[in-house]
Amino acid sequence: MTPSRRRAVICGAATSDYPYLPELSEHAVHAQAADRALADAGLTYADVDGFATAGFFPMYSVGVAEYLGLHPTYFDETNSGGSSFEVLVEHAAYAVESGAAEVVLVTYGSVQLSQMGRRLGTGGGGGAGMPGPAIYDSLWGNTLVGNYALAARRHMHEYGTTPEQLAAVAVTMRGHAGHNPQAQYRDPITVEDVVTGRLVADPLHKLDCCVISDGGGACIVTTAERAADLQRPPVWILGGAHATTHHMNLSAMADLTVTPAAQSGPLAFSRAGLTPADVDVAQLYDSFTITVVLTVEDLGFCAKGEGGAFVQDGGLGLSGRLPTNTDGGGLSACHPGMRGMFLIVEAVRQLRGEGGPTQVPDARIAVAHGTGGMLSTGATLILGREEP
Amino acid sequence: MSAADLGAGRWFPDEMPSPAANAETVGWWEAAAQHRLVVQRCSQCGATRHPPGPVCPVCRSLASEWAELPGTGRVYTYTIVRQAFLPALADVIPYVVAVVEPDGAGGTRMVTNVVDIDPEEVEIGMPVEVVWEDIGPELALPRFRPRTTGAGT
Repeated sequence: MTPSRRRAVICGAATSDYPYLPELSEHAVHAQAADRALADAGLTYADVDGFATAGFFPMYSVGVAEYLGLHPTYFDETNSGGSSFEVLVEHAAYAVESGAAEVVLVTYGSVQLSQMGRRLGTGGGGGAGMPGPAIYDSLWGNTLVGNYALAARRHMHEYGTTPEQLAAVAVTMRGHAGHNPQAQYRDPITVEDVVTGRLVADPLHKLDCCVISDGGGACIVTTAERAADLQRPPVWILGGAHATTHHMNLSAMADLTVTPAAQSGPLAFSRAGLTPADVDVAQLYDSFTITVVLTVEDLGFCAKGEGGAFVQDGGLGLSGRLPTNTDGGGLSACHPGMRGMFLIVEAVRQLRGEGGPTQVPDARIAVAHGTGGMLSTGATLILGREEP
Repeated sequence: MSAADLGAGRWFPDEMPSPAANAETVGWWEAAAQHRLVVQRCSQCGATRHPPGPVCPVCRSLASEWAELPGTGRVYTYTIVRQAFLPALADVIPYVVAVVEPDGAGGTRMVTNVVDIDPEEVEIGMPVEVVWEDIGPELALPRFRPRTTGAGT
């Protein structure tokens, strides 16, 4: 780590409007988020030479680039599901540190909620209609929620995790969402509300599941040198790593209680020269309550099997063991399908002291961890407000 | 209509997704159509895998064979699906999706169903045995029911 080394920072970040955008197209959400992130940084499209995004069509990034009027000489559209944006920002950091790019714009946009109203069916197919090995799940009526339920049931069996402990994650996220005027659901809920609610796939209740939203976000990755001239305090990308264990079939997962975070977490912390004990605030992908329990274990915030005890009694609250998802998370604030960008934007806000009512005092180190697919991919970013 | 109305040997409606087999997977489906539960086994190192695929994930050999299994196993984990993701399933819920560890499969697991039991009675570790649902002349699906024969360990 020589003083002359180019160091990657995030110099601007913003979310689009959310959670319901019937008047916007998917690409318009990208544009709105990009406009805001560039304005936050004090940059214009003319400053951008790199572009990254992830979506569900081949050549997705070049399509959005054309829409935005960009002719980038660096582009990336790695799609690892919900963890895509942690991966894209990690890649962008390598790009600016190597000199392959100077200013990389990373955007996300989705109108998943509005589109549902124009689609037949009840959603949540979890592989139905998908090509390849996913059929080995969906033929037997498995669903997206069902996959996470299979993992939750196994965790309960092995470690005694309770539905009430899972519910505690949803309750804490809702508490944070109550401070977020944009959040999709803001009214307080109790553990009782969660566990007496409708079961979607045992042991997961409706309130154990993320919301379905429209929305997006964007951030800008550049070098510390470039950011020194800009208007916002830089957020340093201290370390990043990602991993995958399987594609879409949980039957191919060696242990349903261990996610790829068990690989990406230690690697990211090692690259950052930090440990979980150094983290002041966490943004953890919360597709389902069980996802968070597995993630706090796999990232090393507690031992395997202790995640239930870790999250209960406000463990993820502002004065808890690990203040987590300070915007209300995917469980209450916004989940447009691949929420990873929201984790990064909220981590940046916390490190810049812009968290408002849910600001974690003196937050110096943040972790953003995305989970994609059926617990298939994990990507960890360690961010800091001070030069390492 | 309920699951019982589908008739003997039927648990799911015809409107379920159907598989598209390819050169690597057709052997598994052909065996299933004959009511033989098989697992793909590497011809070189003996490692098993599921779903079927072209390459052994342990030794990367392209050679594999279909190892016939006794059709018994245990529930590794399960969920009771209570919300229908296809309209046709509205009359079938609640149903059990399980990950089963078939005996003789070298620890390889498969996603399947546990049928012929009150979903609330399913437990992890429960001994189960295969039961076949004929979907069509070329397609049968293995599901599992509580083990009724030779319930040794």
